[in-house]
Parts: sequence; structure tokens; C-alpha cells
Amino acid sequence: MHELSIALSIIDGVTDELQARGGPKLHAVHLQLGSLAGVVKEALLFAYDVACEGTLLAGSRLIIAESEGTALQITGLEIDA
Amino acid sequence: MSEPRLVEIRRNVFKKNDLLARELRHRFADAGTRVISLVSSPGSGKTALLEQTLTSLRERYRVAALVGDLATDNDATRLARARVPVRQITTGTICHLDAEMVAGALSDWNLAGLDFLFIENVGNLVCPSSYDLGEALRVVLMSVTEGEEKPRKYPTIFNSADVAVITKIDLAAAVEFDRAAALASIEAVRDGMRVCEVSARTGEGIDDWLAVVEGSAPDVQTSRHDRCRDGAFKER
Repeated sequence: MHELSIALSIIDGVTDELQARGGPKLHAVHLQLGSLAGVVKEALLFAYDVACEGTLLAGSRLIIAESEGTALQITGLEIDA
Repeated sequence: MSEPRLVEIRRNVFKKNDLLARELRHRFADAGTRVISLVSSPGSGKTALLEQTLTSLRERYRVAALVGDLATDNDATRLARARVPVRQITTGTICHLDAEMVAGALSDWNLAGLDFLFIENVGNLVCPSSYDLGEALRVVLMSVTEGEEKPRKYPTIFNSADVAVITKIDLAAAVEFDRAAALASIEAVRDGMRVCEVSARTGEGIDDWLAVVEGSAPDVQTSRHDRCRDGAFKER
């Protein structure tokens, strides 16, 4: 399915956000995932780990909060204070 | 070392695609090109319907098509028989088209010369639903041979589409297709969705479909972009 593409889109978005903040170390990404978004949580978690290697996101965790509807959005970043 | 802090943000994962799709939509509008995309499972008859549609329209309009497939350019070769410009997007292992692929395929095309551009997505009822291609109209196909329950099984793609087309209706009796059940399934997922019933082989229902294509049929919503992902999907 397309979870790898989704993971790559998350990496793109998070990389933008990190660079806008001067590139702090990233610990975790919070994601809201709607039940109608057409994305399988387990497959996305697997794809995320694979896709993050060699990026600013390497070693970070993806924390998924499931919700209703079609939402698929990055809601928070845990970064060094 | 201090604890990490949580920075709250709101960023749609599809932001990049959505922005590019918005640019495409403006480009299509400026060129006066009506862009219609087709999505369905593999084998529902997207290419057959498109071949019939291109042939029907080419006398009166300037039409072209972009077709996406994982491998092979068989569909493009087949559609070229309709004697209109056709381009293939081969996606490799990617199961959907995205706005970037469409923009790339169109980069050197003069859209101002086109009245209609059709985009045939990769055969898949899951992945294409998330990717706005800048189209004015998204059409989801289901063939009578697939049974009646596709809309209930794949609500997201039906929700993201503007029109449903039931294909291969010349085979309906042979496969004991339950028309009422199929319409009820569509209705359950998208109340009031415009439905066409066609056979590309016999030509039945094609005029009704062409009226939708040409924008002359009533009850067609063209504001997919506004409706999608902004919480207007029917929540269940």
C-alpha cells in the first residue's frame, strides 16, 4: 500500500519544520490519524522506521493518535529544549 | 540533559501535494481545460470507458489523456487508437498518481490547446484517494462483475469522488448484478452522489456519461478540493 509514500511525506514535512527551527534534535513526531484516512497504523510505523534512516528524523519515534474522520496531520514534535 | 519539549504544530501530511494540486488547478482553469480523473480497482474498465469517451469527444473537442500504471505502456498504446494525444506515467512500484507526477508529465504540454484532459489513475481503490491531482472532477468506476459492495468496502475513495460510474452493464444479467443493492451501497457512503450506468462495449448509457463529462448534466459537484480533508467527509 502507500504507507511508504505517506512516511516520506511526513519526513518532508517534519524536515521543513525542523529546519525552520534551526535543526534541533528530534525525539518524536506526533501524528493524528483518522480512521477514514486510508492508512494502516502498523504499516505506517514500519515504513516510518525504514524511511527515516539517513534523515534528520533518524532514531525518532512516531506516536500515532487515532481519531475519527480523514485527518492525517502532524500535530507535534518533541525536540531538544 | 534537559527533557525534550513538545512543540505543537498543525501540518497536513499532504500539504506539499495539496499545494501543487492547487497550482495545477489554477493552471487548468487558466488554460480552460476541464480535467477529469478516473479511479477504480484494476479491471473495472477505466481504459475501455476512456477509449470510448475520447473517440466520442474528439470530433467536437480537443482532448488528451494521461494514464498511470505500475508497469507497461499497454493502456497508452490502446488509447492512442482513439487518435488523440496520450501520455503514460509509469509509476514503478508506487500505487497511485500524485500531483508531482501529473505536473511532471504535463510540463511541456500546451494546455491552452486542450478542452478536456483525462487522467487515468493506477488501478487501486485505496491509495489514490489521498492525492489531489488538481482535477475538476474525480470519477470512481465499479463494474457489475465486482459485486455491489465496493462503495461500503472502500468508502474513502467513493467519498473523495464526485461521480460514480457503474460499468459493464451489458453483463449485469449474466452476473446477477443487484442494481438496487449497488445504488444503496453508493447512497450509504455518499448521499446524493451522481451515478452513471454504462457499457463501453454496447454504448448504453454513454450519452448520460458524456453529459457529465461536458458539465451539462445536473447534480455534479465540482468542489472536491474544498470538500476533501476539510472534515466534510461523511463521518461514521
